[in-house]
Formats: sequence, structure tokens, C-alpha cells
Amino acid sequence: MEKFENWHDTNYKKILILPAIVLILSLFYLTFFYLQTGDIINKDVTLTGGIAITISTQVSAQELETYLSQTIQDFEIKTISDNTGTQIQLIITAKEQDTSILILTLEEFLEYELTSENSSTETTSASLSQDFYKQLIVAIILAFFWMSAVVFLIFSKGKKTKFQVIVLNILFGFFLGNFFLKTNPVISAIIFMIFAVALIRIYIKKSVPAFAVMLAAFANIIMTLAVVNIVGIQMSTAGIIAFLMLIGYSVDTDILLTTRLLRRKESVNKALFGAFKTGTTMTITSIIAITTALIAIYSFESVLNQIFTILLIGLGFDLFNTWITNASIIKWHIQTK
Amino acid sequence: MAHSDKMKITFRIWILIIVVALSLISVFGLPPQALEKGLIITSVEQNSSVFQDGLREGMTLQSINGQEIKLLEDYRSAMKEITNLEENETTKLIIQTKQIEIINLYDRTILEDISLEEIPLTKIKTGLDLRGGARAFVKADIPLNDAQLNDLIAVSEQRLNVYGLSDVKFFKVETSSGDNLMGIEIAGSSPEDLEELIAKQGHFEAKIGNETVFVGGDKDITHVGRTGSDAMITECFAVQEGESCNFQFTIFLSEAAAQRHADITDELSINGSYLSKKLDFFIDGQQTSSLNIGSSLKGSVTTQIAISGSGQGGTRNEAIESAKAEMKQLQTILITGSLPFKLEIVKIDKISPNLGEEFSKQILLAGLFAIIAVSLVVFVRYRKIKASLALVTVSLSEVLIILGTAALIGWNLDLPSIAGIIAAIGTGIDSQLIILDEARDKRESIKQRIKKALFIIITAFTTTFVAMIPLTGFLSFMGIGAASAGLLKGFAVTTLIGITTGVLISRPAFADIARQLEE
Repeated sequence: MEKFENWHDTNYKKILILPAIVLILSLFYLTFFYLQTGDIINKDVTLTGGIAITISTQVSAQELETYLSQTIQDFEIKTISDNTGTQIQLIITAKEQDTSILILTLEEFLEYELTSENSSTETTSASLSQDFYKQLIVAIILAFFWMSAVVFLIFSKGKKTKFQVIVLNILFGFFLGNFFLKTNPVISAIIFMIFAVALIRIYIKKSVPAFAVMLAAFANIIMTLAVVNIVGIQMSTAGIIAFLMLIGYSVDTDILLTTRLLRRKESVNKALFGAFKTGTTMTITSIIAITTALIAIYSFESVLNQIFTILLIGLGFDLFNTWITNASIIKWHIQTK
Repeated sequence: MAHSDKMKITFRIWILIIVVALSLISVFGLPPQALEKGLIITSVEQNSSVFQDGLREGMTLQSINGQEIKLLEDYRSAMKEITNLEENETTKLIIQTKQIEIINLYDRTILEDISLEEIPLTKIKTGLDLRGGARAFVKADIPLNDAQLNDLIAVSEQRLNVYGLSDVKFFKVETSSGDNLMGIEIAGSSPEDLEELIAKQGHFEAKIGNETVFVGGDKDITHVGRTGSDAMITECFAVQEGESCNFQFTIFLSEAAAQRHADITDELSINGSYLSKKLDFFIDGQQTSSLNIGSSLKGSVTTQIAISGSGQGGTRNEAIESAKAEMKQLQTILITGSLPFKLEIVKIDKISPNLGEEFSKQILLAGLFAIIAVSLVVFVRYRKIKASLALVTVSLSEVLIILGTAALIGWNLDLPSIAGIIAAIGTGIDSQLIILDEARDKRESIKQRIKKALFIIITAFTTTFVAMIPLTGFLSFMGIGAASAGLLKGFAVTTLIGITTGVLISRPAFADIARQLEE
């Protein structure tokens, strides 16, 4: 234990290089991904618009695929089975313009009419999906910035700065809601950057611990996003929920760490170790609970699968970012004070 | 306290116990509704004879002709006699509900007038994606202001009501580009032609030649006959592929429209016993039927016009049903008229009720496994049965409180809501672990330590709280999350309920429990 403490005392600044490298690589990858695909995620039919039909059938996916490919090109089939591996349902997704032809071809193939009793269909127009997607992005950005504001308000001092931060965040909200992604993207981006830089500057100047919490949360999102893309997950609205849950969970451990260190009655290392024990128990409990749940329901291929998978990736990065990124920064901050 | 095994029930623990008890009542009812015998009547066709006798939606059917009804099968067997009746034959039924008793003669149509379902175990309502149903978002071709949207909702509501759909919810949806959309949610199984019902404008026009005599809506049409001799099936006859039935109903025109009719017909020449041009009916620009105009009507101010049409089917009954449906549709169009804009469905989801059951099962399964996993981890970490038990019990009570609150406010639990419950419980377990760990820390007084734990918990609570706000749709005045909120609102709502009741009720109680376990 003492050996590790000594090692950490000499090296805690150096190990910051690890998350820095991973973060930069992830950002590079996401930029590259954006340039290639025009977006930072792979969107599934719930976000791009189109049709998804769920039918209860024993017919094999391959058979259906061969048949459907005669009439439409761009479609996908997912098989859903129960715990014994028996197929229960097929989900067929296609582009919006293929809706009617898909239904017709399916009915031809199945030799019965699709009704609201024997099938589920979800159709969303591309324009509406695009709009929902934008609004969700805005909601997530705002959630993130408002969380930062709360963390800042709690870990900083000085009424004037606190007031400034609150006002800036409310203005930022109005900007995101009314102008962002609507007017010229370049101008929007510039205003966005001004707000972000102003807020980050205040956070760094007035409260390094608050900044460290948010940096860890940010790194968490970016790294998870990069892995989600590398693995090839097609994100649905449910996936976006997962990111919101992830921000919440990761900020919890960061707040625990920060509070324990700032209000400590013992040495920094003792406090850090105590926080580490509690924090990892929290995260590992979540990881084990989610893994078991995921195994239990994996074959159903429901939206919960995606939420749980993204949470697992994210919680892994949370361990990394809380106990390396955040811990090192706050230790550094306390040592230099 | 230190050496006694008995837990002191503090004030905060009492609050938790009371709230859990209230939640149980909220979820299961008092007395538990599962113990109640009978079937719930989910809908009664308006103006049917049994409706006029006083049977209403929401009543609990207990017996028919003295035969006790517990399951849907009981109902079917009790109604067997009436199923076998010939058309126009009637039989006596004694319908005993919890609320009233009805004795009357009924014919076969009663079977279609009533729909029932078994009394559900809990009062929890599930959302569309679990229970099945349909949801549609409708956009107009011009930007709608609030008044126009309200008109649209009123007309659509009326239209769906005429079609016998009553469990329908309408709401406004605003997109980020400022478009006002109409949202519709229909629970349970939905009609196959829902798209047409919602989006088809049903713009009705009656023309003679190129001149419009009257259009649908209450400006030109003062009344549409829907009962008795004003609306009926006039005749049925065999056709090539089965049967065909004609219907006829009377409409009453406003004076202005009647005058138009007189002016236009005045110009026409007489051709035998009819006028030279016919009265043509158009729906959405498509000609649906045309009537010969009797020569005696030339130039006359007629306020009453008979509209007729037909329906076909394989058998006579099918033909009658189809004619009735046709008539109803036409009547609706004539009553509700049309709005000055075209509609487009931008999103429509139809979820089969059968597929939703699968989901519910797997969610329970996932929850069960997660709870077992959490209990094991906590036990391995702390090696204390009591602490682990307390943690799992408090977490389960949190689930109950969330469900109870959801049942109380009538929130429909959909998949995002369930994700929200998972999120809230996860946060709850995290917070309890913090309390347990702080309580074990021996360097400060227990009060100090619990205070520190609660500080961390309240900070974490506040961050999650503000993060959920953009998803609730409360910030639509800021232009945030108005449309998307509809889809993910459930997540925000259950998370908010969970973390708020957690921080106010279960965390303080758990802190007291943890303190006692450590003392």
C-alpha cells in the first residue's frame, strides 16, 4: 500500500498523459467519422426516419432477405429470440420511401395481411426525425452545461461569480433552444464557442475541482462515443437516453471524490483511497448489475440492450476518468495550494 | 442501542414505511382490485340500447342471467345464447354490474356494443410501446397557429369519436423550426385505416356541373340525420359477388345553400323526369356518387336532401356492416367539414398489443437479475447481511414509491419511463453505498459523517435534476426539447420522481438505518 502511495505521489501528474492521449485519439476519430459520414454517430431508423416492422414469425431471416431483396435494396432484418434461442420475432427496417412497397412485399411473402394485432409498424418521416435528433442533441448539451453549473456553484466561492455563471447558463439555454442549429451553422458554432470558452474560463479560474469533474464527464462521453462508433452500434433514441444516464452516473463518482478530498480530515492519499473504495464499489456494482441484466435479456434485442451496452462501455471509461483524470487533477490542485 | 439487535424505528424510517404503504395502496388499490371479481367494461357503444339502459364504461360486470362472470371465457359462455340468435330475435338478459342491474330484451348487436377486459392486477398504466396502440404526429401544409391547431384537434377528436374510438389522447407538439404538430395516441388495438381517418381531409363537395352547391361542415349543412328514419339501410339485394345494401340519410341545408341549389337548378333544362345535370358528390376531389335530380326540384329552394350510397359484402350481414360503415364515414365528413389545410402524417407507430407483453416479461427478468446481482455484490463487499438486506429493501421500496407515484398521477409507463426507473434506482444504490461507507469511517462523529454523505448525495441529486429538466418539455418557452420531449419525457419523469423521493424520503431513512447498524 505504501509502495503504491509513493508511486502515485511521484507519478500522478505523469499518468494524466494516458487520458489525454485517449481523449485526443477519440476526438480525432470522431472528427474523422464526422467528415466521412456527416454526423458523429451512426443513426438507426428511429433517428433517421423510415419504417420498422416487427412481426412474430418462425420464418428464417435469410429466406425473407432473399425474397425482399427482389424488390427493395436498402433494408435490414434483425432476429429476436427468447432465452432458449428460439426465434420469436423479426424486425425489418427500411427507408421511408420504401414503406408501402415493403408492406406489400412482406404481405406477399407471409401470405397474410399485416394488422395491428399481428405486427407493429413504426414510421417516421426523415424531416421529423432530423428535428427530434437536433432537439435531443440540444437537450444533452444543455444537460451537460447545467450540470457543470451546479457542480461549480457547489464547489466554488464568491456570490458575484456564481451569479454570472447562472446568468450565462440561462442565456446559453435560450441560445441553444432558439438559434443553435437553426441559423447559419458557422455563426451558431462561433456563438457556441464563445459561451463555452467563457464558462470554461470562469470554471478554471474560480474552481479547478469543478472543472476537473466536468472534464472527466466530458472525456467520458467522448471516449464512449468513439467506442460506440468503432463497435458499429447504430444509435436509437434509447441510445441517447443511455448517454444521459451515463453523465449522471459518472458525475456521481466525481462529486464523491471531490467532496471527500476537499472536506478531508486526513491525508490526501488516505482520503483519495477512501473515495476510491466507495467509488469503485458504486461503479462495479452498477457494472455487475447491468451485465447480469444484459445477459438475461440479450437475445430479445430490445432497446434495453443498447442502453445497457452503452452504459457498460461508459462505466468502464468512468473508472478510468474518475480515478486517473479527475483524481490526478484534484490532487495536483490540492498539492499546489 | 449499541448491543441490542432490535432496530429503533425512527421518525424518518416511519415516513419511509408510511410512504411505501401508501404506494402499495396506489399501485394495488384498497381493497386490492385483483381480489375483485368480474370484468371491467372498457367501452359501450354510444346510443346503443344497452347504453340507453345505463351501462357505462368503467363499470364492473359481475353476472349475466345469474351466471357469475370472472373471466372472459365466462362472459363468452354466458352470452352464447345471444350469439346463436337469428337476426331481429331478442332474448332477456339480466346484467348485474357492481353499480347497477339491467334487465331488458336484447338482440345480437349487444355483442358488438360492449367491450370488456379482465380486471388488471395493478393500477399501473403502461405506455403504448408496452400495451400496444397507435401514435401519430400530423403536420399541416401551412404553419398552424395555436387557434388553428386547436380547431384541428377538435375536428379530429369529433371524427375519431364518430368512429367509436374514445380512448384517444390529443396533444400539441412543437418542432424546433416552430411548426405546430398534432399528436394523437390511441390505446389498445387501433383501426387498420387509422391513417385515412386522421389525415384524409374528407373535403366534401356537392356540385352540379362545375358549380358548388354545398360543402361539408356546419356552414352549409345545418343538420345531418343519423338516427331513425333520417338514416337507414334502405334495401339489400344479391349482386355478382355476394350482397349489396343501400343506405340513405337526410341532411338539412342552410338557407344560403338551399338558395344556391335553387339558382343553379333553375338554369338546367328538363330531360324526361330528371334535370339535365346530376348532383355529384366529391370527397377530396374524387367523385363518389351522383344523384339524378327530379324535374320537380327545378328552381326550388330545398333545405332537405337525401344522400344515398351502398356497401358490399360476401354475405348480407357483411354488406349491411359495410353500408353502415360507409354511411358513418360520409356523415362524419358532412358534420365535421374540412379544414383549410391539407394534412400529412409525419410519424405513425402502431404497436401490436401482443408484442408489448414480451417486453414487459423481459423487463421484469432484467430487474430480477439486477437485484440479485446487487445484493450479492453488496454482501461480498461489506460481509454484513443486515446492511445488504437494508440496502436491497430500501431500493425495492424506492421502486414501489416510483410505481405508486406513477399510478397516482396516472403516468403511462413506457420503455423510456422504465429506463428512468433503472437510472433512479442505480443512483439510489450509489447514494446508499456512499452512506454505508461514510458511516463506517471512524475518524469523525457519526453525525458529521452522515452529514458529509448527505452533502454528496444532495449535490449528485441536484446535478441529475437539472440534467433532466430539458427533457421534460418544461423549457419549451426557451425552445428546448419541445417535440423530442414527447418521446423521452417518460425517462425524465420517472427519473425525477425517483431521485426526488429518494433524496427526501428513502435516503434519510437509510441514513438512520446505517447509523444504527454502526452504533
